[in-house]
Amino acid sequence: MAETNDVIIIGGGVIGCSIAYYLTKKGIKPLVIEKREIGTGGSSRNGGGVRQSARDPRELPLAMHGVKNLWPGLSEELGSDVEYCQGGNLRMGKTEAHIKFLTAMVESQKKLGLELEMVDGDRVKEILPYASDSIIGASWCPTDGHGNPMLTTLAFYKKALEKGAEFIVGESVEDVIIRKGKVAGVRTDGGTYDAPLVINAAGVGARDIARKVGLDIPMQPRLVEVIVTDQQPVLFDQMLGTAGSDFYGHQSKHGSFVFGGMTGWEDREFYDHRQVTKSNTAPATCRAILDYFPWMERTNVVRAWSGILAVVADGVPVMGPAEELPGFYFASCFCGHGYGISPAVGEQMAELVAEGRSTLPLDAFRFDRFLPKN
Amino acid sequence: MAESNRRKAPEGEYVPKADDDLLICRCEEVSQGDIRRALHQGLRTMNEIKRETRLGMGLCQGQTCTRIARAFIARELGVAPGEVGLPTPRTPARPVPMTVIARDGIMDEAAGEGI
Amino acid sequence: MRRVELAVVGAGPAGLSAAIEAARHGVEVVVFDENQRPGGQLFKQIHKFFGSKEHRARERGFRIGEDLLKEARELNVTVELETVVSGIYDGLELVVTKNDRVEHLRANAVVIATGASENMIPFPGWTLPGVIGAGAAQTMCNLHGVKPGKNILMVGSGNVGVVVGLQLIQAGCSLEAVIDASPRVGGYGVHAAKIARTGVPFHLRHTIKEVYGKDRVEGAVIVEVDEKWQPVPGSEKDLKVDTVCMAVGLSPMYQLSKIAGCETVEDPSRGGVVPICDEYGATTVPGIYVAGDVSGIEEASSAMIGGKIAGASAALKQGYLAQDVFEERYAAFRKSLEQLRQGQFGHGMKGKKITHTQEGIEVSESLLCRGFVDESEILRFPGIPSEEIRMRGLTPVIECTQNIPCDPCREACVKGCIRIGESITDLPSLSKEVQCTGCGMCVAACPGQAIFLLNQNYSDGEALVVLPYEFQPLPEAGDEGTACDRSGNPVGKAKVLKVQKAKTMDGTAVLSMIVPRELAMTARFFRPSGSEERRA
Repeated sequence: MAETNDVIIIGGGVIGCSIAYYLTKKGIKPLVIEKREIGTGGSSRNGGGVRQSARDPRELPLAMHGVKNLWPGLSEELGSDVEYCQGGNLRMGKTEAHIKFLTAMVESQKKLGLELEMVDGDRVKEILPYASDSIIGASWCPTDGHGNPMLTTLAFYKKALEKGAEFIVGESVEDVIIRKGKVAGVRTDGGTYDAPLVINAAGVGARDIARKVGLDIPMQPRLVEVIVTDQQPVLFDQMLGTAGSDFYGHQSKHGSFVFGGMTGWEDREFYDHRQVTKSNTAPATCRAILDYFPWMERTNVVRAWSGILAVVADGVPVMGPAEELPGFYFASCFCGHGYGISPAVGEQMAELVAEGRSTLPLDAFRFDRFLPKN
Repeated sequence: MAESNRRKAPEGEYVPKADDDLLICRCEEVSQGDIRRALHQGLRTMNEIKRETRLGMGLCQGQTCTRIARAFIARELGVAPGEVGLPTPRTPARPVPMTVIARDGIMDEAAGEGI
Repeated sequence: MRRVELAVVGAGPAGLSAAIEAARHGVEVVVFDENQRPGGQLFKQIHKFFGSKEHRARERGFRIGEDLLKEARELNVTVELETVVSGIYDGLELVVTKNDRVEHLRANAVVIATGASENMIPFPGWTLPGVIGAGAAQTMCNLHGVKPGKNILMVGSGNVGVVVGLQLIQAGCSLEAVIDASPRVGGYGVHAAKIARTGVPFHLRHTIKEVYGKDRVEGAVIVEVDEKWQPVPGSEKDLKVDTVCMAVGLSPMYQLSKIAGCETVEDPSRGGVVPICDEYGATTVPGIYVAGDVSGIEEASSAMIGGKIAGASAALKQGYLAQDVFEERYAAFRKSLEQLRQGQFGHGMKGKKITHTQEGIEVSESLLCRGFVDESEILRFPGIPSEEIRMRGLTPVIECTQNIPCDPCREACVKGCIRIGESITDLPSLSKEVQCTGCGMCVAACPGQAIFLLNQNYSDGEALVVLPYEFQPLPEAGDEGTACDRSGNPVGKAKVLKVQKAKTMDGTAVLSMIVPRELAMTARFFRPSGSEERRA
């Protein structure tokens, strides 16, 4: 006899744990099924940005809501420090083309209500005295910031557990059970779990889960890498990016710098579906960093790791119900920018599940957008 | 279902133990108490503990403490060390300055030779 | 990108042996090592090795290292020192850094021979300066000529603990005690006996409770443990030491292999997490082989054979070695390796309680519990001549009581007095007609320093005891001092008759001392007068 649950969440990453937590706040005690360990996928392999600037307009309301209403009190609410730091976001430029690109981005986002501005090289130096002289301008969003994704995921997990959510860790979902046209539960390699509602928050595995019920998402994995340095005195608290997108990152509370970077070939790198680091990515990242911060040349890199982005064709997540299969919900495909909106996604998804509607509209993220238009 | 896969709410408050202060990870100063508290809150694997406490994330990258920590976690949980997982060793195997990493392909044009 | 045929990571016994074997068949080899000196652990191993001639028994580790390096150079192997292999990527691409230079190069095959790291156990005070690994202590003494401390506690009675313990004494440190939580000495009994007869106490069933001190170690408290490894209240002993050496095992350094994508497995019999490999050293990544301690903790002698197997495999892979030639060589390596793995310390024997030797002789309990064979037990072993023979004239007395793969004594005696049975692990015995010339070669050859010569009828009321001696300053003929028993207890007066030194003895002096006849089977150590009493 399978056990019965109200909600099953597939995936114990930051999205799954956040939804689980916000569901418990609504009195629903979900069962989360995680294949590996808590926060093992992209949730512990990302740059930690809590950023509104440069968000897709469809995502921006979630990002702004999170920064305004959820992130500031999150550590206190969850009872664990998630190392949220609202140090602002500087996206730096070195060429006229960069400035042009950034200016256009700033203008379009201002229209959407985000408070951000273009600043010149001198102002960049005021905000970030450690930046190189070659930076001639930047977009500056003072309400952006960063957090610690590993701690955030675990904080949601711990609080959700404490409030009655249960987690099955180490079982892989083999099938989603459908009875009489509705979702009825899942079967794993360890057992069968009944629930009328299943949320697919399986990260890069979300496409495989969806395909089990015949739904396919135009999503591809993309391998990206981050380098981490040894502990240094804490120098700055901004989230950094560049107009050329050659690196991004921040300094953690611990003092290590966490910087992601690219070779430019990431779209084609996930050749044999193994999560590896490439010999040319860390060098490319280091060159990009040293271009902006030459004084970092003696800073030691202690590790490099890779993560897999779940990149969807149109660049925004898939969220909400699959209309044709009652009980099947998506919270997937965050394309590498899910961490910053994870509290908002958890809260809104919980509302959607518990009350049938969410405060913020999630329509732009519906799965149906990929279906033939009748 | 394997009941050992299930994680539920912790029972009661964490009760400190006499030897909580004993350090397990020297680089990041992670103590037995830090690990026990994390276990009490529902964390179960080396990687989860690592992410929570920074165990093994310091300069030596877990060279000394991984074995000690695995044994300790396994003992606290009453399982074999193999069951609590293994953190993934990462490149570079030893710390390397950014400027050195950055030089691949463009270095030593003057020298014109390999190592 | 520069390509090499074989890249070897680690210039220790396994790595160098792999390089030599591959180069011998024509493979172009580069060896990388992050240390200043090649040889891995060999260069600090100043003791003589066990095994047989093919395993380079009775040779000292550092000399083996020198020979390996010479051989490698003759075969045009490139050895790059102070060079870190910081990553191995897909396509067998190695990223190596030396000082501030980096190179990406590609290998057709890679042998990972990264060795092992020292284990630690946490206890209050374990992070204080003065708590060090035994291997680190050995590096300080034997490579850098620095004493790690004055008064030392050795934690762990395995071979590392007892071997390094002796070397610390040789360096002039005072070894206060050897402790082990196990009820039995873990290392070879003969190694333990070398330090026991200098007066070092063994506290078995003891663990370290705490180390104290303000800024560094000022003392250590040890405590007895019961059958369930729990401390026995009230059994604490306070030892005034300034250094605590930890010899509590080694862990294979599997990290680079895992970075390279090799699958690993938890295997306690091999020392912990190790890369999965087959009998040829091949890992789960094609082209990557492992050898030496990284593939399972063993002695350097075994590591050298493992290296040869991996080197031959890499040569076979690249067509430098025909399949049939490879198989022939492999069979020989395997046979040699299996010899080393025999005996009571061999494969699969860890943790097993031995009650009798393979000859059916009851083992020495005293050796296991106190580090030396008690006089009351020694007579039952086959290397001990009868009193009649001992009274007849000079004879070897072989105090070898454990089945260890080792046979240099047999060859050392030109008169053929010493016999070892079919198996290399058989205990040595004496031929019926002992014709001892007193050359002392067997005394100096025994890596366990367990062979003595004895003439119980040297003169009226006196016996002559000939023993191996490796301490400085070397006594001289005519020196007077104290004869000590196997536990280091002073038992009577002794006078040095002569001290033999010869190149073939390789640094082991052979000291003849005259003692009262009743001490013939008791006196096994000479302490020069004026040297301090070790025991109260």
